[in-house]
Amino acid sequence: MKMSEQKSGSQNVLRLMVCEMAHLSRPDGSATTFQGDTCVMTSVYGPTEVRMAKEQIDRTTVEVVYKPKSGLPSCAEKSLENIICNTCENILLGNAHPRSAINITVQEVQDSGSFTACCINCCCLALLDAGIGMKCTMAAVNCCIDNEENIIVDPTRKEEEQSQAVLTFAFDSKDKNIITVITKGKYSQQQFQKCLVLCRDASDSVFKFYRETMEKKLSKT
Amino acid sequence: MADHVGDASKIVYMPGDFVENVKVSEKTSKAILGPGLKQDGDTVMVTKPGLLRHKEPNIYWIDCHSRRYVPVRGESVIGIVCAKAGDVFRVDIGGSEQASLSYLSFESATKRNRPDVKVGDIVYAKLLVANKDMEPELVCIDSTGRSSGMGVIGRNGGFLYKCSLNLIRKILSTNCPLLSRLGKQIPFETTVGMNGLIYVRARTTVQTITIINAIAASEYMDNDQIISMCKKLADTFTMVQ
Amino acid sequence: MRETPLSNCERDFIKTAIAEKKRIDGRQAYDYRHVRVSFGVERGCCMVNIGDTRVMAQVSCQVVEPKQARPADGTLYINVELSPMACPSFEPGRLSDFGVEINRLLERCLKESRCIDTESLCIVAGEKVWEIRVDVHVINHDGNLVDGCSIAAIAAIAHFRRPDITVSGDEITIHPASERDPVPLSVHHMPICVSFAFFEQGKYLLVDPTDKEEKVMDGRMIIGMNKHREICTLQITGQMLLLKDQVLRCSNIAVVKVTEITELIHKALENDREERAKGGKYGFAESVPKNKVTSNHKVSAPVDMETVEDHVTSTFSQNDDVIEIDSDAASTSESDDSVVIMDKGSGAIGLGGPSTWNVDDEMSELKEENKSNTTKTKQQKSDTNIVVSIDDSSEEETTEILVEPSIQKQKKKKGKV
Repeated sequence: MKMSEQKSGSQNVLRLMVCEMAHLSRPDGSATTFQGDTCVMTSVYGPTEVRMAKEQIDRTTVEVVYKPKSGLPSCAEKSLENIICNTCENILLGNAHPRSAINITVQEVQDSGSFTACCINCCCLALLDAGIGMKCTMAAVNCCIDNEENIIVDPTRKEEEQSQAVLTFAFDSKDKNIITVITKGKYSQQQFQKCLVLCRDASDSVFKFYRETMEKKLSKT
Repeated sequence: MADHVGDASKIVYMPGDFVENVKVSEKTSKAILGPGLKQDGDTVMVTKPGLLRHKEPNIYWIDCHSRRYVPVRGESVIGIVCAKAGDVFRVDIGGSEQASLSYLSFESATKRNRPDVKVGDIVYAKLLVANKDMEPELVCIDSTGRSSGMGVIGRNGGFLYKCSLNLIRKILSTNCPLLSRLGKQIPFETTVGMNGLIYVRARTTVQTITIINAIAASEYMDNDQIISMCKKLADTFTMVQ
Repeated sequence: MRETPLSNCERDFIKTAIAEKKRIDGRQAYDYRHVRVSFGVERGCCMVNIGDTRVMAQVSCQVVEPKQARPADGTLYINVELSPMACPSFEPGRLSDFGVEINRLLERCLKESRCIDTESLCIVAGEKVWEIRVDVHVINHDGNLVDGCSIAAIAAIAHFRRPDITVSGDEITIHPASERDPVPLSVHHMPICVSFAFFEQGKYLLVDPTDKEEKVMDGRMIIGMNKHREICTLQITGQMLLLKDQVLRCSNIAVVKVTEITELIHKALENDREERAKGGKYGFAESVPKNKVTSNHKVSAPVDMETVEDHVTSTFSQNDDVIEIDSDAASTSESDDSVVIMDKGSGAIGLGGPSTWNVDDEMSELKEENKSNTTKTKQQKSDTNIVVSIDDSSEEETTEILVEPSIQKQKKKKGKV
């Protein structure tokens, strides 16, 4: 839990990851993911009926709703919804269930840094729990560049606030290609490359975590 | 990914994994891929997380845990009648769309002699049409026009329980002792729909609730645990009576 | 999205079961499901589980201008969100009639009973006051949302700390948490709603109805009450007429339930405070059970920095603009990564197993005892002073008889447990 406090300087760790699946009785798939103190809860319904206006004749419509913990959703929240939606559409088998919808609801529980990455990872776990057809899984890792040009992987919120740039990468499990990049702040091309390689490395352990989680879930059948 | 030959039943495949050494039929040199598997060029790709199942000689599928039903042609399901719309009933079977059930597809139904189906009734029916681009269609008769057990059920009490699809597959598999063992202790009738609905009726309310709870509890049990649960259940029941 | 309709057969079965004084989940008519209260890392964040129903509340504050009519009073704002996560029929965005009903009920229960001292929220009269905002999110809907929302809201208010302020002349300083310890709100009393579902024109009554029972019921009565036996709200909805006796009986039941739940909240608050004071573990992550097959814990994974740096510089010098990184050489951290699975296969799905909730109510010890059971064990929270008799129907229920206050916990098991 308190791993975030132990890490300092060059010692870079992905914080403790905890996840709980299928803990909600109503949705088809649900997951809660903790990365350190950061916590996100996601539910998936699907494939379900789709509203006429959003129906796509040849593919599944992915609808993402993001719920902030306090206050009403604003532009930043809508943008996050969009990012998550586009990222998920990339890995889902879109043509398996045409004229239907997959509804993903993401609830913020605690934002203590690396929040976007946690949202994406939680969505992937909820989709796995729902058993929706996917081309591959996805893992997101966040990193930031602090003012001394050090790269911190999976930073806490405090570290994020004090950094000059924050970068989030989402990778697919097949070739570790980038699905999504979200960056904020100023960085050089070299720094970007360095962050990319670091995050790609770190994503291995997230993928491993997914596999362990599913193995554990299916161990009793 | 590891070879599926050997103790393959415990390896969990994730979407994006490849299945290697797929056996093909000697005659046709084809392999049959079931749910959760997809051909991707020369390889077989996994699209759903779960355990790989194999049936000799060449049938493969992924045993995936899910709760949302996707209609499959020929499967028997339990549906809830939601509305009457002209010549058809709209039936909710838990899929993304409501299924249609013609009033003529009941045993001995004619244009004059309409079946007695009310909104809110549950029907046990077979999927005649189920494909991703079309509305699913149900029938309550087989090809010879007989009902063979299908039709409106649950008029004389009993309860409908919703559970996950993998539990349904588990209790319907031939080596699952649950229903037969339970039946020895408490007589009951049951109808199991592949869409995750189980209808149970025993002699008394208490017995029905008992059976439902036993079914719900068996989801994460192996066969030995199920047998011991049924034994304990029998002991308490004889004790109470 | 459409919700699966309730079939006639379920409706009839629930009705006959109630007439026989049975419930599908094996509870008695006046039993609550297992109630769990836990707090998040942030102040004022509370999660409440009543059986499968789950509600989260978050309290926040900001400085606003007071209302003209009450220049020296702070404000309390309540916002209930029925998230589409909870139930497929809940639409995002616009609040449904049901949502408005809960929202209004909570406002009546908390605001109009003056459970928090709004005068103490005044900074400068007529100019600046604190606005306390309570956001209540329904996470999973399995009936009895009103009770869940009211418990979550009041527990979150009690858990919340607002920043300290100093006023010197015209200058107002809001101190961040690092500078001065934040101050709790002054909570006068804790009103809690208890719902009763009525069947057959008020002939039968159930406490804490589940979703299916709510769909079948004729009407409902909600009593908002605090532990001093003061009724803060009373609402009757539905198409039924009630006798005076029924109302009185309900308020007597409500007294017992409210006392119990208030105690539970206090205990949870106490636990959280102790853990925070000790610098120990708190927050929701601690409450994820480790031995369930559906949960997984992974220790933090180190990321190797040095080899990566070498690698990046080498590839970078070769091709300046092309983004291409050899993935073999980049896989450095794999060997360092150790994943630990806790108790593989030993735990039970569902409930049971040792409780790792830092916020414990009296169930924790019982849960501990149940660790060896592999059957799915449902546990209910039973009244501390009402002896619960054993129901024939509940083959897998553990019924415990709690004799207070001697902490004599006896457990009677039935069936396969």
